[in-house]
Amino acid sequence: MALDALRRIEPATVELPGDAVPSEAERAVEGADRVVIRFPTFKDGRGFSLAALLRRSGYEGELRAVGPLLPDQVDDLLRMGFDAVDIERPDGPARNRNTGGAPYIYQPDPGAVTARPTALHLRALAARKATAEALARELDGATPEAILIRAAQVYGGRMAMLSSFGAEAALGLALVAEIASDTPILFLDTGMHFPQTLSYRDRLVKHLGLSNLHVLKPDEDEVRAEDPDGKLHDRDGLACCDLRKVRPLGRALDPFDALITGRKRYHGGERGDIPAVEFDGERVKINPFAFLSPQDVANRYKALDLPQHPLAEDGYASIGCWPCTAPSDEPGSREGRWAGQDREECGIFDPVRAERAKRAGAIRLI
Amino acid sequence: MYQYDEIDRAVLDARTAEFREQVHARLSGALSEDEFKPLRLMNGVYLQLHAYMLRVAIPYGVLSSEQLRSLAYVARTYDRGYGHFTTRQNIQYNWPALVDIPDALDHLAGVQMHAIQTSGNTIRNTTTDPFAGAAADEIADPRPWCELIRQWSTTHPEFTWLPRKFKIAVTGSPEDRAAIGVHDIGLRLVQNDQGETGFEVHVGGGQGRTPIVAKIIRDFLPQRELLAYLTSILRVYNLAGRRDNLYKARIKILVDAMGPEAFRDAVEAEYEASRGRALTLPVEEIERVSSFFAPPAEGQPLTDIPTGTAFARWRAVNVKPHKVKNRAVVVIPLKAPGATPGDASADQMDLIADLADRFALSEIRVSKEQNLVLPHADKSALGALFRALDEAGLATPNHGRASDIVACPGLDYCNLANARSIPIAQAISTGLHAAGLDEATGDLTIKISGCINACGHHHVANIGLLGVDKAGEEVYQLTLGGVGDGQAAIGKILGPGLSADDAVTAVIACVRVYAEHAQAEESFIQTLNRLGTDPFKEAVYGA
Repeated sequence: MALDALRRIEPATVELPGDAVPSEAERAVEGADRVVIRFPTFKDGRGFSLAALLRRSGYEGELRAVGPLLPDQVDDLLRMGFDAVDIERPDGPARNRNTGGAPYIYQPDPGAVTARPTALHLRALAARKATAEALARELDGATPEAILIRAAQVYGGRMAMLSSFGAEAALGLALVAEIASDTPILFLDTGMHFPQTLSYRDRLVKHLGLSNLHVLKPDEDEVRAEDPDGKLHDRDGLACCDLRKVRPLGRALDPFDALITGRKRYHGGERGDIPAVEFDGERVKINPFAFLSPQDVANRYKALDLPQHPLAEDGYASIGCWPCTAPSDEPGSREGRWAGQDREECGIFDPVRAERAKRAGAIRLI
Repeated sequence: MYQYDEIDRAVLDARTAEFREQVHARLSGALSEDEFKPLRLMNGVYLQLHAYMLRVAIPYGVLSSEQLRSLAYVARTYDRGYGHFTTRQNIQYNWPALVDIPDALDHLAGVQMHAIQTSGNTIRNTTTDPFAGAAADEIADPRPWCELIRQWSTTHPEFTWLPRKFKIAVTGSPEDRAAIGVHDIGLRLVQNDQGETGFEVHVGGGQGRTPIVAKIIRDFLPQRELLAYLTSILRVYNLAGRRDNLYKARIKILVDAMGPEAFRDAVEAEYEASRGRALTLPVEEIERVSSFFAPPAEGQPLTDIPTGTAFARWRAVNVKPHKVKNRAVVVIPLKAPGATPGDASADQMDLIADLADRFALSEIRVSKEQNLVLPHADKSALGALFRALDEAGLATPNHGRASDIVACPGLDYCNLANARSIPIAQAISTGLHAAGLDEATGDLTIKISGCINACGHHHVANIGLLGVDKAGEEVYQLTLGGVGDGQAAIGKILGPGLSADDAVTAVIACVRVYAEHAQAEESFIQTLNRLGTDPFKEAVYGA
């Protein structure tokens, strides 16, 4: 049906025929806060796909299905992104209980606003958790080399390393370069780093021969909208981390099931008892350096003759973005991070994930 | 083979309970037949010429002995003591009472079987090589991928109201025994230069009134991307496939109308937009599903060899090489002379289940040629197996030979049919047997469809018969040269239509031409290609 046939019912409502061309439909719903898709018959499934495409294109208003639909289709319509269904014969043959649908789903909800985990993912996460726990037992107290070699056996091809290129980063990068050199290295370029960090990054990449560096930047549109003056860190430090670290990382993590971190138990706080391998509710974190002491780290630096971060000798023990990093007296300490703020993590290592991890373990498998 | 976990059980139990309510509503009159129709079709219940028909899915043709016994139980308890194995690796019961169907489905749910989406404009049962996991020439086992597709396609919220039915076939062997060229989507497991396993994706093949061989739209799809890519194909089809004409609604028509390149571009664009973590197969789930399909342990060598030529003949024709030492693939043709192709009695099913338990690791397959297969027989038991099968009339040595005839139910059961299929198949196999021709020939496929919908796969038969209605008379078109597996080809019509009797005579005449002209080890297709159609025309229509 041509676009000029689309009927405008009231100012913010757009009605689309079930056979509308998706690209035209996406343009037609711009600015609308209520979209009605009219199904010609219950057998015409085009409206199901159309709803998913409208949701994917960013339409967030009400999406209503109307027409000679069957009560038995309501569950599926909701999964496609509709949030209202008008049935012409509500007293008609409503045989399907529609009590929220099947107990589990085999497919990701194609258009639903809150995505539920699929059967596949529930099972995969339970298995991932069990494997991580077994590896943690196996590798308790092990050397960084032993931990990374074993992790590469299990997670090779779906494992990445997150590096801040901070004071202690070189050690982890050197280990990866030696044992699993094709591992992608993810670097969050927040736009707020010390210039010394960026030059150090380039020097280390060259020195170690790292070939798979992924530089992750915040979304430009989001920065313009949320931090136009570059002062968000003063107003709301957590929001700044969310904009510049958590979201860019979230977008880049898609292909990876395991992340190598540089975290060590002596960092203290929530890191005081991290295992060699842990499940965070979705992914696995591999902590090859968990069991090292500050002295071990120093010795390794010395033995490998690794370049030091230029700021390390100025007393910076842990280095992040310049607005939220201060020097600290104690080597290896994170005391200087977010000094004066009531937190010790940026949000990448999210405790909410840990909660999900517990729930994933609740699914019993045969 | 795959075992349900609590998730699979919960999904199936919910569905079975729901359909029970729907049947109850129909029986009480709360639902009219019109209103009930879309609901029953989603659950494999057809209304045929004489009665309701129940089609039960046999996922990718794989059965345990316990499941086969349950199929026998349903045949004995709710039907007339037999079932009909179909060309899509399913089983049909032709005489169940509607009131009994929920009980039958409950019984089947107890052994992890169902009838979901064996009908309707939905994604149907995925089919594969009946020798999967056993074939000596296999690149990778297709069954784990079939099971992943089964789960993904079951009660899919977006693809339950497609323009038309949708069939996916997967093969893991270069010698494709799944006829992927004549399916809506055909997937061939391949290896790329890096040694990774993935899929070559074929789209838009099909039979019916417009037979078309599928086109390759992707040479290599990484295996973890399977569901994302299938979703993209289905979404393009769901939105753009024709809905104005039932006969133009299959994806083959869309691919043909758009052109394979434009169709591929549309799929790739949708794939780029929709791929991502939620649709990427988790490695752990691939490993979990694959773990159910580990290769069998080695068997014992064959020492007990029955004397006489019957065993040797049976072994040469019905026993195939296995990739594991001292195991063998045993085909059990449901094609004794004069038999209804694909029919098995409850007693036969029970017997085969017992033999599978004793000699073949309790596993059975259904083939699209409407035969049963013991995929993992112990070689040491071949003698005992032969004696037991022979005694039950199940050792006809004709797998892949002239009398291994495929036929749809035809006018004897089906309300779409224009002509009979089963009696024609029976007459041909009886005639071939009487003429001694079923033993004298090599590889040859004969397939019969009772109407243009081509459920008997006549388009891809070496010798095909299509029954049509011509002014109230049953008339049969004879085609030669079709191929289903491997390089698919559509058969060509040999000449004018024939009466039922003449069609039987004509097919036997064609087999005789082949038997008389074939060189050593030559298949029918090789002989046909060498001789051309003239000798066959002459034999059928005279000089």
